[in-house]
Parts: sequence; structure tokens; C-alpha cells
Amino acid sequence: MSERTPTLVLDRASVAYGDVPVLEELHGVVHEGEAVALIGPNGAGKSTLIKALLGLVPVVRGRIEVLGRPPAQARRDVAYVPQADTLDPDFPVSVEQVVMMGRYRRIGWLRRPSAADRAETAEALERVGLAHRARERFGTLSGGQRQRVLLARAIAAKPRMLLLDEPFNGVDAVSQHALLEAIGSLKEQGASVVVSTHDLAIAHLACDEVCLLNRHQFGFGPTGDVLTPERLRATYGGHALELRGDRVIVTQT
Amino acid sequence: MMFFEPFQLPFMARALVELVILGALAGTVGVLVLLRRLAFVSDTLTHTVFPGVVIGHLMGGDGGIFWGALAAGVLTAVLLTLLTHRRRVSEDAALAMLLTTLFAVGVVVVSRQTGFTSDLTAFLFGRVLTVNEEQLAQTAVVTVVVVALLAVLRRPLLLRAFDPEGARAAGVRVGLLDLVLNVAVALVVVAAVKAVGTILVIALLIVPAAAARSLSDRLAVIVPLACLVGAAGGWLGLVVSYEASVEHGVRLASGATVVLVLVALYGLAHAAGAVRRKVGLSRARRRSVLEAA
Repeated sequence: MSERTPTLVLDRASVAYGDVPVLEELHGVVHEGEAVALIGPNGAGKSTLIKALLGLVPVVRGRIEVLGRPPAQARRDVAYVPQADTLDPDFPVSVEQVVMMGRYRRIGWLRRPSAADRAETAEALERVGLAHRARERFGTLSGGQRQRVLLARAIAAKPRMLLLDEPFNGVDAVSQHALLEAIGSLKEQGASVVVSTHDLAIAHLACDEVCLLNRHQFGFGPTGDVLTPERLRATYGGHALELRGDRVIVTQT
Repeated sequence: MMFFEPFQLPFMARALVELVILGALAGTVGVLVLLRRLAFVSDTLTHTVFPGVVIGHLMGGDGGIFWGALAAGVLTAVLLTLLTHRRRVSEDAALAMLLTTLFAVGVVVVSRQTGFTSDLTAFLFGRVLTVNEEQLAQTAVVTVVVVALLAVLRRPLLLRAFDPEGARAAGVRVGLLDLVLNVAVALVVVAAVKAVGTILVIALLIVPAAAARSLSDRLAVIVPLACLVGAAGGWLGLVVSYEASVEHGVRLASGATVVLVLVALYGLAHAAGAVRRKVGLSRARRRSVLEAA
């Protein structure tokens, strides 16, 4: 495993909005083809870390390297998947148009989308199982389906790293399965995946590594090693309950 | 033919060309204003252009209006962009203050002139029947510049309107893009000062776009439709105000008539849109029943 190229390096990194430090002393490495889950309560700084990986929030101490470059210079090869419910459902765009947005960087400002752009768009939609909804308006789809469309948009950009912000929130079982499948196939193709989630089961299922966060880092490493009752209790404070010694329920996220 | 006859008069023909170009321009820009929910920001711009109009008129007469408006429009577009990007200030309160302050400056300056009520009315509500060839040319140039700018930037503008975080993540310079759109809105206001005045422009921006939106879910249809509604509103508004004034002796201000005609068109579009949605729904329902059976 360690022979693989590191795609994300956190080296004692601290991230801050202005003067207010949000995350401190992050340390860890992710390799190509690996997925890391960012786990922690609300307000722990998961979204902030994702923004820092995009170079949108500054690193004030230490170092973050994405694909061997400072985050802001790696954006070309990084795709970001926002939470679907943050987007206006009345916006007049079709599913197809949303996915095509993933190709905008390659298309540029003036050129018309080429046959290749259209083929990539169609294939990306196919991979999330929504090819048959291409012509429909984005907002008419269910929350889970919209999340899949946004993942398809990221896939169409052909990224080497994928950043997903809470993609499983309020998503039905069918869409969750489709999302996990698509993420898995991206990993097989060598992309690295960073996904923030509340869902420990999904972290077990989809991710090789886990980063436990709550302002500080409470653990970073292989999923089985890091998701221990002790560490979860430390991360979530009083809001983690232990069951039968080896299982943990998080009572407040 | 009441729809074409009035325009044999040269001043009516110029007014028609001015309003049709303006309607099409405002329709295009209006779609973006609608998508970005910038109606209040745009309304602020219509008011902040006003002192520029007044000062321009003071310094250069009728010919100075365009340049005064242009300077004020671009300046306040920059200011607004900065203001709306600082999230700490409660945005709409700041906008309301800026709007009223600059508007008051305009009123104070204009009220120092003798015979100011006549000037004031002209600045606020326009005098489309006195549009001359130079002003027509200015409107045409502004239209070409704005439409070209928006056409070139259509993809980043769309992405930014739909998903601002995603746009930032994709490396789009959102601040710069917002400045471009604010300047585009300011330019529409500048171009419209002579025809409909600073107060009524907002209707030209919002109403055709809203009408087009209620008729279609597809941007490729909405943009040309908004242009068409804007241009049609200009034409029909002129016809109505001419007919009422000349044939029936009821004096109707042309700028305001255009706005009222636009709102009537919006009403029709809204009704048509409601019918369309109902038909679409029952069709979908029938289809799902058929599929189930």
C-alpha cells in the first residue's frame, strides 16, 4: 500500500478563517485509490477541511499538499460535490446541463461542447444510474437522485481527487447504494476520495481510512484501527454511548 | 393599422427602436438577475445611478446624462459588489442605506435648480419621445457590449448562479464575475435612463424574465423569450400610450405604460404557465397510470 503515490498530505496543518482557528494539528496521508472518511460532530470543521483542500480556506501553520501541489493549484484535478439540498430546486437547468458543468473547464468559454464532452456526460450519468432522467429538470428529482447527479458532474470532470460534503444526508437506500457503487469504481480507477459523513457504517463500508475530527484531530488511520469506542467518545464528548463493549452509538451529531 | 401607423412619425420611430432594443437587452440581463435573486441589488443600482444622471445633466446638459449615469453606475456596481461580499454587514440594510443616501444626494442636487420638478420627472420616469439619434446609438453600443460580455461568460455565470461553492471549487473567480453582472445591470440602467427613467428600469429587468421563466424550464428558451417579451412590451406600450393620447385625449406617460403592458404580459404568461403545468402533470399522471397497468 505504501508504495502508492500519496495524493493528500496533511503535515501538522492548522486551518483558520481570518484570526479564528477552526482546525489544528492535522496530520495524515492518503494514497491514490484510497478513500478517507471525515467523521465528527456538527461544527467539528469537516466542511472547513474540505474547503481547505480546495484552497478556499487558508492553511495558517504546517502544510497541506493535494496531488503534490498547494491546494489552490490542484483544483484542476479535484472535483467537489456539494450537498444537493444546498442548491435551489427551482433553478431552470436540466440534469444533463448540470453534469455538463463538470466539463466546463475543458470546454472553456466559447467552444461548443464536443462529441467527447457529450459522451463523457452521458457516461457519468450512466454510472450513477440516471441516464434515463437526463432531459428532466434537476429540481424535479428526489434529494438522493440530485446528489447522484452532482456526483456524475464530478465524474465527468475526470478528477484525480474527489471531495464529497455529507453526500449521504437524507439519501434513500437506492441512491445510497448507487453513490457507494460510483465512488467504489472511481477508487478502482485510482482516484482518491475524501468524504465527510455522520454515518459510521458508511465509513466502514466505503472508506479505507478515517479522520476523526472535532477542532483537533482525534485519530487518522485505517478504519478498523481508528473507529474505536474510546476515540469516538473522545471525539464526540458526552454524546457517544457504548454498547456491549465494542459498539458505539453517537447520540448527537 | 394602429400597431404600425404611429411609427411613421420620426420621433415615434426613434422611441420604438429605443424601447425594442432596451426591452431585449433588459430581458437578457434580467434572466441572470432573476436566477441570482438580485432584484433588490438591481433596484439599488437603479437608484444609485440617479445622482449621476443629475450631476451629468448639470455639467453637460442632455448630452451629459449618459456619461454621468455611466460613471455613477460603474462606481456603485463596484461598491455593491464589495458590500455584498462582506457577509458581516446585514446585506439588505446596507443596500437600503446606500440606495436612499445616493438617491437623496440626487434629489438635493436637482432641487437646487430652478424648474426642477420638470427635470426630476424626466430623470425619474424618462421621456422616450424625445430620444435622439445619439442616444439611440448609445443604447445600441451598450447592448452590444453587455450581450457580448454575457455570451462570453455564460458558462461561469450559469455555474456561479446555480452552485456558488461549486464554482469557487472549480476555480471560478466569483467576485470578479459578480462585478461583471453588477456592471451589466448598471449599464442597462444607464441605457434606460432616457427612455423610462431610473425608477421604472427595474420592471424592464424583472418582468420579462419572470414572464419567460413561468413559460419554460429551459434556459435556451427562457433567454430569447425574455428578450421577446421585453421588446414586445416596449412596442405595445408605445402603441397604447399613443392611441390613448392622440385618439382618445387621455395622456398616458409612455414609460409607465410600457411597464404596465409588461406586467399585463406577465399576467398572461403566468396564466399560460399554470395551464401548461396542469396539462403536463395530468399527462405525466396518465403515463404513470398506463405504465402501472
